[in-house]
Amino acid sequence: MPLFERLALRVVRALDAACHRLFGWRWNPLHQSGALACLLLVVLIATGLYLLLFYRVGTPWESVQRLQAQWWLGRWMRGVHRLASDLLVVAAVAHAVRMFAQARSWGPRTMAWVSGVFLLLFTFVSGWTGFVLVWDRFGGTLALAGARMMDSLPILSEPLVRVFQGERPVPGAFFFINLFLHIAIPLGMGAGLWLHVARLARPVLLPPRGLSVAGVIGMLVVVLALPMPLDAKFDPFAIAAAVPLDLSYAFWLPVADRLPAALAWTGAVLTFTAALLVPMLTRRARAGAWAPSVVDPATCTGCEQCPQDCPWDAITMVPRPEPRGAHSALVAQVDPSLCVSCGLCAASCAPMGVGPLHRSGRDQIPRIRAFAREALQVPGQVVAVTCENAAPGQLTALASRGAVVYPVPCTGNMHSSVVELALRGGAAGVIIFSCPPRDCRGREGPTWLEQRIYREREAELQARVDKRRVALATMAIGDLPGTLTAFTTFRQRVAGLVPPGLDPSSEMEVACEPPAPHVGAPT
Amino acid sequence: MSGLARRLVAGLAGLAGLLALRATSLVPHGDAPSHALLRLSWSARPERVETCRELSDAELAARPPHMRLRTECSGRFASYLLTVRLGAETVWTDTVRGGGLRNDRPMHLVRDLSVTPGQHPLQVSLARLDSAGVARDTSASPTGPLGDRGQREADERRRRAAEALPSLLVLDQATTFTAGRVVMVTYANEQRQFVLKTGGVP
Ligand code: HEM
Ligand code: SF4
Ligand code: SF4
Repeated sequence: MPLFERLALRVVRALDAACHRLFGWRWNPLHQSGALACLLLVVLIATGLYLLLFYRVGTPWESVQRLQAQWWLGRWMRGVHRLASDLLVVAAVAHAVRMFAQARSWGPRTMAWVSGVFLLLFTFVSGWTGFVLVWDRFGGTLALAGARMMDSLPILSEPLVRVFQGERPVPGAFFFINLFLHIAIPLGMGAGLWLHVARLARPVLLPPRGLSVAGVIGMLVVVLALPMPLDAKFDPFAIAAAVPLDLSYAFWLPVADRLPAALAWTGAVLTFTAALLVPMLTRRARAGAWAPSVVDPATCTGCEQCPQDCPWDAITMVPRPEPRGAHSALVAQVDPSLCVSCGLCAASCAPMGVGPLHRSGRDQIPRIRAFAREALQVPGQVVAVTCENAAPGQLTALASRGAVVYPVPCTGNMHSSVVELALRGGAAGVIIFSCPPRDCRGREGPTWLEQRIYREREAELQARVDKRRVALATMAIGDLPGTLTAFTTFRQRVAGLVPPGLDPSSEMEVACEPPAPHVGAPT
Repeated sequence: MSGLARRLVAGLAGLAGLLALRATSLVPHGDAPSHALLRLSWSARPERVETCRELSDAELAARPPHMRLRTECSGRFASYLLTVRLGAETVWTDTVRGGGLRNDRPMHLVRDLSVTPGQHPLQVSLARLDSAGVARDTSASPTGPLGDRGQREADERRRRAAEALPSLLVLDQATTFTAGRVVMVTYANEQRQFVLKTGGVP
């Protein structure tokens, strides 16, 4: 599995790099694939409601033909419905591949993964029913292919294919059932989506407004410029030739046509089972980088910040067991079965009382001190804090421009005291390069970091720190010019400031010490 | 690149992506066929092959009331030899039976045979293989210990026999096969004969 994950990561990174060059990281649709899939579901429901007004189960193809003749609305509603359904498959698959590549498919994410697999399956089934509803040559071909697959199972005594082979007209009941499923499945997907994101705190269900509007307008432009054609009505007495296949939904058809049904079934069942088993196959031991967060009850002051910041709602405040002495009434408690080890809580906690093993604020202090001692020998050096998942090529380029690179597991995991200590240790400035916000594996790392540095979110960067010496930037893979420009601009800015050694900040050293745990009863 | 130019490139790239997606939704599948198809497709009840014996009034009286049938039969459902000939050539032959484990269900047949386009003398025959003891129209006596049940029994046997396939079905017809088109041979239950369907188009 690690090999497959690495391969998938290569693909994801290559596509990300291409998108960053084309669209810039703010508009990279691949970062928004899950939210885009939600938006497309909404578009499909809205356009589908319109199409439903005109659809007739008794004369399916003819009713779509009438819709197609409505050049002013029906035709493009149908076109957008069709294009959005294709885009939904692309978005959902891109989203799943990203989750897999970034090792976000196991542990507490198992429910999201498994429900995602079902969402994708329902997307395919719902698409299948939709294409069949049109009853053009593709719809008929899909119906026949489905019937052949069913007939190969020893379930039905009467072969289903006979319904579609022209002996009798296809009964209206068939189209009614299809229509029912075509409406019921997306409604069920709404419930599935709720389950899908049930464990996430603050799930992002829609892309940024600009991207949503651009996406919808883009689809409209395409279907207005090149209307989606309506193919000829399905004729059971014609041998299918040059049938326009929709590859997003029928990519399997050319393969299945050539395979014996038993083999096609085996392939489908194995693929589905393998997809469901991914959480088991990618599971890691909960140790090292994957160790869950722990609370030091002696340090926790009950401030209730970490439960607010945890992107997985893994932390709750519970009453402290008696006797509590000088401590707060409530203490944070991590549920390891919900914790994804993102480490964001470590940076939430001013007294440094929570975090995954070796990644809490307390663990970060000696590390940055040692780093400053070794790496910050020359005055005027700028530290570039980078995320472990950043592109190695971009780190090398930064280093070659004179940056002192300080990698951290996630910038959202980095306690603000690290910045203070880097400056105190001799850095002229600290620039923190985060991943693009919607690409953070911890989901909210860059968001919380920005608020901790500039908006006094706990644990905020102390007011005594000269904020002109601190900068936040985004390091998007493939966007080397963006990375280098951010760095050189920042370096020029700090070069113009009074050297830090001349700044009176004598209390800093003391203030950056992790506070001693509260022990004993009040005096 | 200026901000506007960048946006323009991004917009065009997005549109190009959507156009590519549109193209993947209309990919032609299947080559123009140079052959025609002969499709055999029907459902029909096979005949019952059985040996029957009429019970005497004394025998009937000895049975529990719910088991009193005037004619007692034992047997099975017939199997048939299906032969498809195009001109002098036999293109397919097979023994076909009713569905289900005991072959007591209707026979469902779906079979496509590739045919060279042109006009061919087409002969499809379905001939019962089992000859002995096919269920007959037994006219049971409406009187005796059965009362009108004997009549109902006889009616039921007559109905079943009428629904079943005849012992020999033959379709013999010069037929035009067109490349890319299907000619279907099906069984019309009402007329109890094979019929040819071509979908109304050549
Ligand atoms: C119609 C299809 C789908 C929709 C609409 C959808 C939507 C979403 C949304 C909105 C999120 C929350 C994103 C966030 O706020 O960070 C999410 C998360 C997630 N999805 Fe999907 N998804 C779909 C299919 C899938 C599939 C097919 C898979 C995998 C097989 C998958 C796996 C996941 C996982 C593992 C997460 C948790 C992400 C994390 O690590 O935080 N999803 N999905
Ligand atoms: S590491 Fe902390 S913030 Fe992240 S999921 Fe675990 S408890 Fe929540
Ligand atoms: S942030 Fe720290 S002090 Fe506050 S509740 Fe969490 S563990 Fe306790």
